[in-house]
Amino acid sequence: MITNVVGKRIQRIGIQQKVTGKTKFAADLDIPGALTLRVYRSPVAHGIVRKIDTKKAEAIEGVVRIFTAKDIPGKNLYGIINRDQTVLADSKVRFIGDPIALIAAENEKSAEQALKALEIEIEELPAVFDPLEALKPDAPRIHEKGNLLFTRKIKRGDVEKGFSASDIILEETYETNMLEHAYIEPESGIAYREKEGRITILVTTQNPHADQAQLAAILGIGPENVRVIQTETGGGFGGKLDMSVQPFLALAAYYLDRPVRMTYSREESFQATAKRHPLKIRMKTGATREGKLMAVNAEIIADTGAYGSYGIAVATRAAVHATGPYEVPNVAIESKAVYTNNNWSGAMRGFGVPQIAVAHESQMDKLADSLGLDPISIRMANAFKVGSVTPTGQTLRASVGIRETLKKIRPYYEKFSREIQETQHPLPQGVKLGVGVASMWYGIGNTGHPNPSSAQVEIDETGKITLLTGAADIGQGSDTVLLQIAAEVLGVGTEEILLVRADTGLTTDAGATSASRQTYISGRAVYEAATKAKEALLKKAAEIFNAPSSLIVCDGGYFYPQYREYQKIPFGEVAKRAVQADGVIRGEGTFNPETSSLDPETGQGIPYTTYAFATQVSLVRVDSVTGQVSVIRAASAHDVGKAVNPSNVEGQIFSGVAMGIGMGLFEQFFPNKTKSFDTYLIPTALDVPEVTPIIVEDPEPTGPFGAKGVGEPALIPTAPAILNAIHQATGRWVNRLPADLETIRGLVPPEEK
Amino acid sequence: MKKILSFTLNGQPYEVAVKPKTTLIELIRDEIGLTGPKIGCNAGACGACTVLIDGKAVDSCSVLALQVEGHSVETVEGLADGDKLHPLQEAFLDDGGYQCGFCTPGMLMAAKSLLNENPDPSIHEIRHGLSGNLCRCTGYVRIIDSIHDAAQRMKKEGGEKS
Repeated sequence: MITNVVGKRIQRIGIQQKVTGKTKFAADLDIPGALTLRVYRSPVAHGIVRKIDTKKAEAIEGVVRIFTAKDIPGKNLYGIINRDQTVLADSKVRFIGDPIALIAAENEKSAEQALKALEIEIEELPAVFDPLEALKPDAPRIHEKGNLLFTRKIKRGDVEKGFSASDIILEETYETNMLEHAYIEPESGIAYREKEGRITILVTTQNPHADQAQLAAILGIGPENVRVIQTETGGGFGGKLDMSVQPFLALAAYYLDRPVRMTYSREESFQATAKRHPLKIRMKTGATREGKLMAVNAEIIADTGAYGSYGIAVATRAAVHATGPYEVPNVAIESKAVYTNNNWSGAMRGFGVPQIAVAHESQMDKLADSLGLDPISIRMANAFKVGSVTPTGQTLRASVGIRETLKKIRPYYEKFSREIQETQHPLPQGVKLGVGVASMWYGIGNTGHPNPSSAQVEIDETGKITLLTGAADIGQGSDTVLLQIAAEVLGVGTEEILLVRADTGLTTDAGATSASRQTYISGRAVYEAATKAKEALLKKAAEIFNAPSSLIVCDGGYFYPQYREYQKIPFGEVAKRAVQADGVIRGEGTFNPETSSLDPETGQGIPYTTYAFATQVSLVRVDSVTGQVSVIRAASAHDVGKAVNPSNVEGQIFSGVAMGIGMGLFEQFFPNKTKSFDTYLIPTALDVPEVTPIIVEDPEPTGPFGAKGVGEPALIPTAPAILNAIHQATGRWVNRLPADLETIRGLVPPEEK
Repeated sequence: MKKILSFTLNGQPYEVAVKPKTTLIELIRDEIGLTGPKIGCNAGACGACTVLIDGKAVDSCSVLALQVEGHSVETVEGLADGDKLHPLQEAFLDDGGYQCGFCTPGMLMAAKSLLNENPDPSIHEIRHGLSGNLCRCTGYVRIIDSIHDAAQRMKKEGGEKS
């Protein structure tokens, strides 16, 4: 298909304001007379709040009001999937940082003094920090229903038979660690009550409509009485899917006739928001002598910390993706999400798939190593193709680009390997080079759940086009991509469309900006909306030209009958006549990709309509004396269906490689210890390699112009590719993240360094 | 007890009364109302608040306002010359040196400081020059490319002038 706007590297909208410092993030909004909010948080990991005395704190000058659980007008229980989290503790606290009281004050100083003056007594309970300990019958009970939040099972074929038919069986354990999103913009928002009584919240978020629904329930009012407007958002990576400052802002604005504002400090951002689930994985893989996979059996334990958040989704995704993008006839997976008194874990770029990819990709390289196969060949021998059946029993019908990504990566694998052989100068003592490959698959959208998005395209009598979408652009560029899709359909430039986005007062629900779903799902909703608006115009143009509408061309901002371009009429003129006759044109678009719920015992079902696929190769330098690993070069090939904006896709790939380096080599969050960027190190400009992004386009028939998604896939193969490269360099496997200095120094015996 | 502070901000002379403990970022954002420089950590670790003092990059969260007495401060708002963007801004736009844009004002100022000292930096020198500025979205690749590109543009512009 020839396209004019889709597939083009057009510049992001709004970026001019960003490079001139004019963009307003939530903390930049000027709101005169706003009160400051601060939260008193639990100093203990597990306990019962016995007494809250606010008298002394309330007497402090400048303190306006102090809220506790008893002030919550609606339900003091929220959560995206299972509701188990309190806005302010009603009796129990479950991690260090659980909110207990909310202070509204005239200024920061008064709020600070009030925090110190609060008299709060907590009876400390025994706490548990290891998910395996938490599963024991005598473990401290964190939630009433017990510490096991959820179990996902996937059963297909007969694993015992599969292992019997295998020539080689590898059983290994892997551990991934707790990570922090570390977006540079801390959580922030403002709120006020409108004259008519509606509570309006402007906030940094990935999830405006879910925020609205949850806040309405907390306040005990209808959702029409809460308006959430997403402010420009400085990164999210899943960490801004759960609410942060929202309930505090809403509660204070509900009671006080004053605007309020709240911005987390970096320490509070680290302490009070979701983390990446640490996973413990035992994986047993059987294969034939030729490297053909016969069986995979895995047990996965995810530490969801004090609250569920997205724990159920993470346990499910880890299970669904546990084999990797390969045909495996016999599969048995059991994946559990378990409560502990650690910081709560939630969504973080990939929902458990980056963690499980460490296991399945290490297993592939271990098999290849034992069988004398090269890493690309063993993956190619097993990779999905059209017609393959996944572990959940889903037959893949289209857009299965994994093999193409492997083909595209092979030359880079060979080039990097040659580079090692040709390294002329002797390397310093203990320094070794290695090349590593890893692949991945990633289901687009929510797992086995409905996933709807909606959008509207309006055209007024002046020909002005407005695209309305509830999709939150959190910096990844969905605004531009959605405009490109609408512009392509309508035959105009993106600059001719006004965008209204992520305001629950003006736009309808597009679902969360998560699960790499906005280009695919909201993109398709926008495509439908624009198509319907265009049809109304085509009908009018057909009347004007007295020709069937099927023969009317809409292109380059004009309408004309086929082969009669000389008769062309501007888009605006047709719009004007159509609106005069029938009123404002409004195209409604919705899209909900086909999914089915997964069977609770066997996991069989259709978790997603479509999947993204990728393969990455990395060249790394391992210094076994200092323990330092540097990624020198990486090439990453991603099947995105269709790159609506190739520049955006490449941007995601660069981003994912950097984040994966942090995950693979040094990032590690320790509850109650990690409080700043001094101890939570994220990659800097010195840590990132030269990256070659490669776009593979195997179109998805249900996607807009064939598009799928890339946001999370970009990250997923990075850490396992690094681990496999470390093995090639040193001959040692790393089964536990991160492969930090101590790990690497301990890996190679002194005599070999 | 407030003290009178005289300094230059983006070429404009300022005389303001400030408390001794007010940091430069608080003065710029809360008192003067320029919100280009951001607060990412308030501890001198992320670089989102980077401004120039006499042409050199500093974390404005880690400097007291009174320390800029008599000095010249430049924020991202002072980078463009009216409507004419600075070559760094143009290069960031053309080469995609951005994602969410939160670190961008600090990155631009760190880059300007680097180019003030070293108008023709190597990729390696650019990486070092940016090592105090964190970005979680871009993977840095295009920021580095943008700065390299800006240096070339500025060299060309300079060359045309002479």
